[in-house]
Amino acid sequence: MSRAVVRARHYAGSAPAEIVERMREATDDTIIEARDVGYTYRTKRGAADGGYVAVRGLGLTVNRGETYALLGTNGAGKTTTLEVLEGHRAPTSGRVRVLGGDPADRRGVRPRMGIMLQDSGLAAELTVRDSVQLAGAISGRHDDVGQVLERVGMAGKRSTRVAQLSGGERRRVDFAMAVWGTPELVFLDEPTTGLDPESRAALWAVVGELKAAGTTFLLTTHYLEEAEKSADRIGLMHAGTLRREGTVAELTAEGTTTVRFVPPGAVDDIPVPVAGTENGLVVIRTRAVQRDVTTLMDWAAANGHELARFSVRESGLDDIFRALGTEGATP
Amino acid sequence: MNAIAAAELKMLARNRVVAGGALLFPLVFGGFLYMTRDTHRANGNLAGVQMVVMVAMGTYVTATTTLASRRQTLYLKRLRGAAVSDRAIIVGLVAPLVAVNAAQLAFVLGVLASSDAPANPLLLILAIVIAQAMFAGLAMATAGFSTSPEHAQYTTMPIFLAATAAAVWFQATGTDGLIAVKRALPGGALAELVATAWNGGSLASVPLLLAACLAWAAAGVLAARMFFRWEPRR
Repeated sequence: MSRAVVRARHYAGSAPAEIVERMREATDDTIIEARDVGYTYRTKRGAADGGYVAVRGLGLTVNRGETYALLGTNGAGKTTTLEVLEGHRAPTSGRVRVLGGDPADRRGVRPRMGIMLQDSGLAAELTVRDSVQLAGAISGRHDDVGQVLERVGMAGKRSTRVAQLSGGERRRVDFAMAVWGTPELVFLDEPTTGLDPESRAALWAVVGELKAAGTTFLLTTHYLEEAEKSADRIGLMHAGTLRREGTVAELTAEGTTTVRFVPPGAVDDIPVPVAGTENGLVVIRTRAVQRDVTTLMDWAAANGHELARFSVRESGLDDIFRALGTEGATP
Repeated sequence: MNAIAAAELKMLARNRVVAGGALLFPLVFGGFLYMTRDTHRANGNLAGVQMVVMVAMGTYVTATTTLASRRQTLYLKRLRGAAVSDRAIIVGLVAPLVAVNAAQLAFVLGVLASSDAPANPLLLILAIVIAQAMFAGLAMATAGFSTSPEHAQYTTMPIFLAATAAAVWFQATGTDGLIAVKRALPGGALAELVATAWNGGSLASVPLLLAACLAWAAAGVLAARMFFRWEPRR
């Protein structure tokens, strides 16, 4: 069965010929392509003050089957970027192509993508089942409401009105709507905010299943460990621009490894450069961890020192993230 | 569109406050006008007031409030992220309110017709269709200025009061005095059109009345295109 046919069977009714044609054309592995994208919010004073620049000069490519996480400080422009890529906002500059077309194309592109907004937009009077069914009916894709609710662990709440759901349960309903009909591309804006650890794990498990089936994900999250575990590539945003991009290994490659221990005597005697002390521990930052740790061990053995509370910690995303916050508004 | 309309009907039935505003008030008002009518006068003028007030209340105010509410809760934004057109979303949201209102009108005007049937039912139906289009368009435009459903209670007042006043004015004075002003006000030409359809007689003024009503409908649609917003202002 061809890829286009596999994709086509998710669409409600017979997929319009132009969609099928575009799917055939979409052998290109680039699912999202943003070039020099900018977005400026108009303020109440209109153009007089130039507006608020939320995103500028953003270039981004997401490939088929990839999970790409956008991380960033608060107000970095992640949600605006996502909304531009979803077609909710037309970029004020630059060019965006999603699934080979305009993301605002309701007929050709939207049936192939699922969107989980940061703010739910659910109707309080509708039940869980009504809400998911409505989202499914206007998605242009086929699925079974019972199975979708089962998948996100909300089958037991199918008859509960949205007004009576907790914040975490609403997020799960949002997620159900986004993954209805197994779209080719899913946008997730802070999908696990408000979820308990078990629900977070369950949500990532579903993401994993869909990813295995070929779905591409673009997501934002404030949970770095989730991005570290789930994303193939990560983009780090700050002050409206994409500052760094790559795999976790690539992003942390330039970082230093931190060695800590209780100094056995005078700090000056330690045979490798010391960065400082913290809570009575010597702190050594190094890019040559094997060499420096060997030097320390040899020195300790030769002098009969015990290096109490000795620890070695590689730099992680959190270090990169913290460094991002100290950068200026312009790269 | 059908799924959106079905969801909207469910929401209407489950929200007592909105249901009261959309279902009860127009019906009560229409009934009140019927009970207090002057039985010595032709029913056409009364039908005009009933229709203008009921559509202004049931379609215009309710649709404005609904659209403002759906925008405030980001429901519109969610619908816009799907594979349906803007037109389908708007029709899906407003059509149930229009249908409910049309059913109310059919009931109230039906009661009135039981004692004195309209002379020109086709013209009456045309007037109802135009009234719904006019007030639905004006609702979209007004929703553009309404930041919340509570705010919509105030923003709908100028047009609601102007339409009601014009209809009541026409009912009291007919075509005598300042007729151009009456026809120019929202609801004035509509009330006269209904009265003409109900009472019968010369149809000479019908094109002018239709033009005035359609001008308001067009103004509503045009204003809606300019001012309607899908998301709350950031």
